[in-house]
Amino acid sequence: MILAYLILILIAGGLIAWLAGKWNKELPRFIALFALFTDLFLTVMIYLQYSNSDTNDWMLVYSASWIPHFGISLYLALDGLSILMLLLTFILGIISVLISWKEIDEHTGFFHFNILWILSGITGVFLSLDLFLFYFFWELMLIPMYFLISIWGHTNRIYASYKFFIYTQASGLIMFLAILVLYFIHGKNTGVYTFSYPELIGTTMSPATAILLMLGFLVAFLVKLPVVPLHNWLPDAHTEAPTAGSLILAGLLLKTGAYGLLRFVIPIFPEASVTFAPFGMLLGVIGILYGAKLAFAQTDLKRLVAYTSVSHMGFVILGVYAFNELAYQGVVMQMIAHAISTGALFILVGQLQERIHTRDINRMGGLWKQVPVMGAIGLIFSMASLGLPGLGNFVAEFLTLMGTFKANVLMTCLASLGLVGATLYSLRILQKVFYGKERTVHVIKDLSLRERMIAGVLIVAIVYLGLLPQQIFNTAKPALAKSLNSINNQSSGGKNEKSGTYNFVPEPVSTNQ
Amino acid sequence: MNQADFSYLVPFIIIAGAPILMMLIITLTKNFRILYGLSLGAMILAFISLFFTGNSIPHHVSSLLVLDQFSVVFMMVIILASLLVTLLSYNYLQYQESEKGEYLIVLFVAVLGSIILVSATHFISFFLGIETLSIALFILIAYRKIHSHAIEAGVKYFVLASVSSAFLLFGMGLIYANTGEMQFEKIAIALHSSGFSTPVLLAGFGMMLVGLGFKLALVPFHTWTPDVYQGAPAPVTAFIATISKGAVMAFLLRFLYELDAIGNKKVILIITIISVLSMFTGNFLALRQQNIKRILAYSSIANLGYLLVTLLTGSDLGIQAAAFYLISYIITTLAAFGVIGLLSGKDYEAENLTDYKGLFWKRPWVVVVFTLALLSLAGIPITSGFMAKFYIVFAGVNANLWLLVVSLILNSVIGLYYYLRIITTLFTPANALKFPVISIPGQLVLFITATGILWLGIFPQWFFELFSGFSGF
Amino acid sequence: MEIYLALIPIFPLLGFLILSLTGFRLSQKANAIVGAGSVGISALLTIIQGIAFLSSPTEDGAISVRLWEWMNAGGFSAEISLKMDALSLIFCFVITFVGFLIHIYSIEFMKNDDGFARFFAYMNLFVSSMLILVLADNLVLLYLGWEGVGLCSYLLIGFWYKEPANGDAARKAFIITRIGDTAMLLGLFLLFISFGTLNIDQLMTQAPLIWEKGSMMPVLAAALLLGGALGKSAQLPLQTWLPDAMAGPSPVSALIHAATMVTAGVYLIARSHVLFMLAPVVQTAVAIIGALTLLIAGFSALAQHDLKRILAYSTISQIGYMFLALGIGAWSAGIFHFMIHAFFKALLFLAAGAVIAVLDEEHDIIKMGGLRRKLPAIFITFLIGSASLSALPLITAGFYSKDQILWFAWSSENGSLWLWLAGIVGAFLTSLYTFRMVFITFFGETGTEPTHKPGKFMMIPITILAVLSILGGFIELPESWAHLQLFSHSLNKVFPTISLSHKGIPEIFFQILSAVVAMSGIYIAWLIYLKKLKPAESPSFDRIGHFFYKGWGFDKLYDFVIVKPVVWFSEIDKKDFIDSFFTGITSVTFMFNRILSLLQNGKLRWYVTAVAIGIAFILTVMINL
Repeated sequence: MILAYLILILIAGGLIAWLAGKWNKELPRFIALFALFTDLFLTVMIYLQYSNSDTNDWMLVYSASWIPHFGISLYLALDGLSILMLLLTFILGIISVLISWKEIDEHTGFFHFNILWILSGITGVFLSLDLFLFYFFWELMLIPMYFLISIWGHTNRIYASYKFFIYTQASGLIMFLAILVLYFIHGKNTGVYTFSYPELIGTTMSPATAILLMLGFLVAFLVKLPVVPLHNWLPDAHTEAPTAGSLILAGLLLKTGAYGLLRFVIPIFPEASVTFAPFGMLLGVIGILYGAKLAFAQTDLKRLVAYTSVSHMGFVILGVYAFNELAYQGVVMQMIAHAISTGALFILVGQLQERIHTRDINRMGGLWKQVPVMGAIGLIFSMASLGLPGLGNFVAEFLTLMGTFKANVLMTCLASLGLVGATLYSLRILQKVFYGKERTVHVIKDLSLRERMIAGVLIVAIVYLGLLPQQIFNTAKPALAKSLNSINNQSSGGKNEKSGTYNFVPEPVSTNQ
Repeated sequence: MNQADFSYLVPFIIIAGAPILMMLIITLTKNFRILYGLSLGAMILAFISLFFTGNSIPHHVSSLLVLDQFSVVFMMVIILASLLVTLLSYNYLQYQESEKGEYLIVLFVAVLGSIILVSATHFISFFLGIETLSIALFILIAYRKIHSHAIEAGVKYFVLASVSSAFLLFGMGLIYANTGEMQFEKIAIALHSSGFSTPVLLAGFGMMLVGLGFKLALVPFHTWTPDVYQGAPAPVTAFIATISKGAVMAFLLRFLYELDAIGNKKVILIITIISVLSMFTGNFLALRQQNIKRILAYSSIANLGYLLVTLLTGSDLGIQAAAFYLISYIITTLAAFGVIGLLSGKDYEAENLTDYKGLFWKRPWVVVVFTLALLSLAGIPITSGFMAKFYIVFAGVNANLWLLVVSLILNSVIGLYYYLRIITTLFTPANALKFPVISIPGQLVLFITATGILWLGIFPQWFFELFSGFSGF
Repeated sequence: MEIYLALIPIFPLLGFLILSLTGFRLSQKANAIVGAGSVGISALLTIIQGIAFLSSPTEDGAISVRLWEWMNAGGFSAEISLKMDALSLIFCFVITFVGFLIHIYSIEFMKNDDGFARFFAYMNLFVSSMLILVLADNLVLLYLGWEGVGLCSYLLIGFWYKEPANGDAARKAFIITRIGDTAMLLGLFLLFISFGTLNIDQLMTQAPLIWEKGSMMPVLAAALLLGGALGKSAQLPLQTWLPDAMAGPSPVSALIHAATMVTAGVYLIARSHVLFMLAPVVQTAVAIIGALTLLIAGFSALAQHDLKRILAYSTISQIGYMFLALGIGAWSAGIFHFMIHAFFKALLFLAAGAVIAVLDEEHDIIKMGGLRRKLPAIFITFLIGSASLSALPLITAGFYSKDQILWFAWSSENGSLWLWLAGIVGAFLTSLYTFRMVFITFFGETGTEPTHKPGKFMMIPITILAVLSILGGFIELPESWAHLQLFSHSLNKVFPTISLSHKGIPEIFFQILSAVVAMSGIYIAWLIYLKKLKPAESPSFDRIGHFFYKGWGFDKLYDFVIVKPVVWFSEIDKKDFIDSFFTGITSVTFMFNRILSLLQNGKLRWYVTAVAIGIAFILTVMINL
């Protein structure tokens, strides 16, 4: 039940914040913070309780009936991967509220409603084990995000919000179609019509069907991730969104795509995934290089940072299709580290824009003198972005590439060129913004205490990930092993074995936890 | 016709009797409140009376009408929707100087036509129902006789509806000529032995499809829709979009299933093409439209296109999906037109997109309802539209209707654009336009429809179970 | 005892943290104490550790300390653990001790700078990273230090960020070394895939067991590691960043771009010498690259007139010597030259920095002159450094270290006449350009007047380094003279002994020859630059001079072959052509909208036509199909 509460708290918090916004401008902020801190606290408690259990099982399962007519249930479960993503969700959620403290001063109620609802959708995505429910949450987060961009965004916000919405909705519908087909295939095979993930996982189908269905799932996840050539919504959405929006987009929304790959695509379609692997890796490499290239070419700072996401997420898909634990751990680490480093860069851009009213790097320069703290933060996260060892992104990219090296040497070599590319664009940020002659006429203020504290948390986090990542590995390991098992089983044995392997996934049973 | 039959006709009698009573009262008093209260009461009464028919259905009242689960549910929906339309009309009627009562009378006539339509099992009752409905609608559309738009819309509707009626009649005649039967069951038996063999029979079916296509505003018989939607007062538009189309669609479902016409390849081909064309045409036309009523008109064309998918599934699942979709569509559309109607003033129809700029910041609750309705039309989760679309796709995938399912999904995406356009307008910085205060009946409508949209969207299980009884006729 | 090992890098790290978090609040004095003090403590610890280590050597010739498990996933594990053997000790000593001197010097050098705290923070971070690099017990941790020093180098080159050229130089340095680093990273992957570990000891013990000498895998692995080494150590073809890196403050040039960081490549090769010995092809390549680099850089140094650029090219050239030594298997000779070079090159940079500082940022030696009288202390120390660099026989340390390399270049198994020849020509060039610099700067007519004299914070470190530049050589004397090989002896647990193939000519002959060459270089420099016995001013000579001046046109070449295409490539598709595909879909959709809207024109006859078409269609299908 606690899992359902995690979602409900956010939903209710959103509604209350909205209503409270009518009374008082400040109140919604505190309500949002309260809801998020409650969720964070609950998640941490769960984590502490279950983190040391070595089982491959789900830590917590909640199941209740929803639409039994179609075999749809409120089936939520939590394992190491989900819990990491949840922690990330709530922490970034808190930061996105804090970062908007001054930036958003109109319609705060509705703003925080949207923030909390996006987060509840994301939380739902990370917890759902019922494919229908998963899709429900997958779509649920779009509308509030659409509002966030279209109401509080920058100049070109309307275009960006349409683009974001239509891209993700279109791809989501294709996935939905694939889910339905899977449902019917499974139903016709076994007589049990259900959307339950553990049940669907062993569905047998012809290789061609499997490939088609997998592509259906992939489209949705690859758009979110995003993978070139399905990435075009991202630069616009990231650039036009308010800072909190960019933070959530880059930090969380993109991760739902990666999560989907690991959680759904690989276990449900192991054979098809193996077939697709070379293409997947190629897409990853293209994403890494093309994203880096475009990032390097941009003059709008926010757009530049947005394109770095394309490049960084290339590593994720590259690693996912390497099918080994090394790469998978790298992928998980990349999901977290990228959320923090890119999130921090977006925050920085937001703060810059607030102060000098431009995002054009050709109009910046020499800011180090006036805002050394910002400079230092920019430096740290640019370095994180280019994969400096000691910071989280390095661990991620290192493991991913090393794992990929096992699987495909050529792709790894090409992908590692991305590191040089990352150097080019990251240094460009520093060079254009903080180095060189001063160009601003105004006296601009360095970060306030609130902003420094946010940055401090992010810095500690990225260094922690860089130097002490072991806790993350341990947490994610059982969940990743599940994904990998499905691949290993399909390559080693027949189909009969396979159904036996999934025993560790429990039947949906109601628990009162 | 016996005593028992009579008790099944109670709902019809109430709906038919109410306008007669009202006519009598009008001669005595012109007090609008009495008439209004009376009509609300009659509708509630009719609605309640439907529950008492539930004991021993299906029941055939002579060979003309049938009260089975399908027709009872649809009659309930129609009467409930009429109730909402009546509530909505309050806002509109309060600006009307005279003949307020007459409006309500004609409305009842239209409702009567609709409920006959959904329970018709015979060409005669069918034609009776559809003509009653059409003629009443023609009056309602042109009701604001001082507005040229309204007159134009009324004339267009009248002309084209007459043409369609002619085709219906001709089609029915041809079928009768060929089979010698006018009752669906018997036609089905006749067809069963002979099949769709003779060209005359086929032509008859074709002509009936033309006539029904008109009423449903399917491509290429859709051309009247935008003009009529725009010209008619918002509550009437709501009536046309929801009750009228719902009733005809319900009839079509019954007719085609009972005759097992879905087994015919030609019928499948025609409906498939019409469905796909309707989806694309409706959505394409709506893309850059600036008039909200016209947008909703185009949207309804596309929506009916989606609905046709359920026909083609040829399964019980299809009927269930259609029922759910129709109900969701009716609630959603009522909410949308409700908002438009309630924001319209005396000489002023709130139909231009620009009128709605920044409405959210002034009338948040109204906009929440409107947004919910638009999201529902777009098929976004937590709204009924999502579940409804899910149901159709579900049935479509089950029946392997790939072309239709894919074009439905494509169109959902295209449709997003214009729904988002309206939503975006609602949330942009505000303009200075003043809107009237919303009356209590109006608020009630918004509340009910919004609740309905959310209820169907979040807890649809009850409805799913209800409709799971729809299997064959 | 082991825990002290961990403290060596930790103190500078602490210094960095204190300075970066609170430095802007503290006084300059406090900053100086923290900045220099932390490195001082490290130097002290290193010396203590070194004495303990040398006096009671452990079984395997190393001590190690494990701090925590860094990563352990999917069969890969890396720890944050440090290990010190003789090789690391030497590097640690140079880093902390020379580093400390340079920090002391910087207190005065940077005293009026806004970024005083920032400077010391970066410097401390650098020292810490460099220590991690040389103490790492696995290649990932080494890579962490490796990239860390790269970052510091970047930050310090661009320290005076307001001048865009400085930023460009910094960026160039980072990017070029990063290219090498990426190769190195791939090398790491290759090693891991082959051995399942990146622990250096394990790798080095397993490699000869699993890999056959000269087979493809060790060649690949060694070549990839070499890529990293070439970038960091500014060797051909990745040498172009170092001359530009002189944009940084002089202490930075002394510490990072002369004494320590640029020799990280030397360290890496020495550290993984087992791999290189398994890949003779690559090892030979190291020697050849070293030989070529030392010549090319030597010629370039000859044509420069920015004091620091001369020294930069000289550094490239001297590292070339080290590479040459490593390439022929004279491991300890290479390391010995590293240490001596650290002394005299740091000295030269610091002295040069002092000269530049007192001349108000005058870099051009042509504009200097006669400083011998104005700045006698600087002159003497600079002269000592120059003598050591030129390998003035017998008295200077540089002679002993360079001579050893030249001898091995000839006599070792991997050596050859050509390598030796390159070395000896290089030696001639070295003394020529060095004393060209000395004569022009300190002799002749007075150029720019110094504004003040360097203070004691500057002069004490310079003096200490000058002493080391002389005495440092006496710990390792040629075999033919005396039996004093303290240095190579201490390294014998790390490196295999070099095997000589006696080619008949005694060592003493080569020593005399190289001494003569060094002296003649100085003499010719004296003739040309002081006596003005310049060869005829021919245009072709100028052209060659310009060619050397421009660093053999490498910059131009890379600009043409790499930079321009990359920039061009990034410009052509700025707007992302894939976007237009999706925009195209939108346009097509809107086109449909326009066409259909034309039909929806409100005219009844159009509507009826549409209906008629519909009827015709339905009836056709129904009846005829």
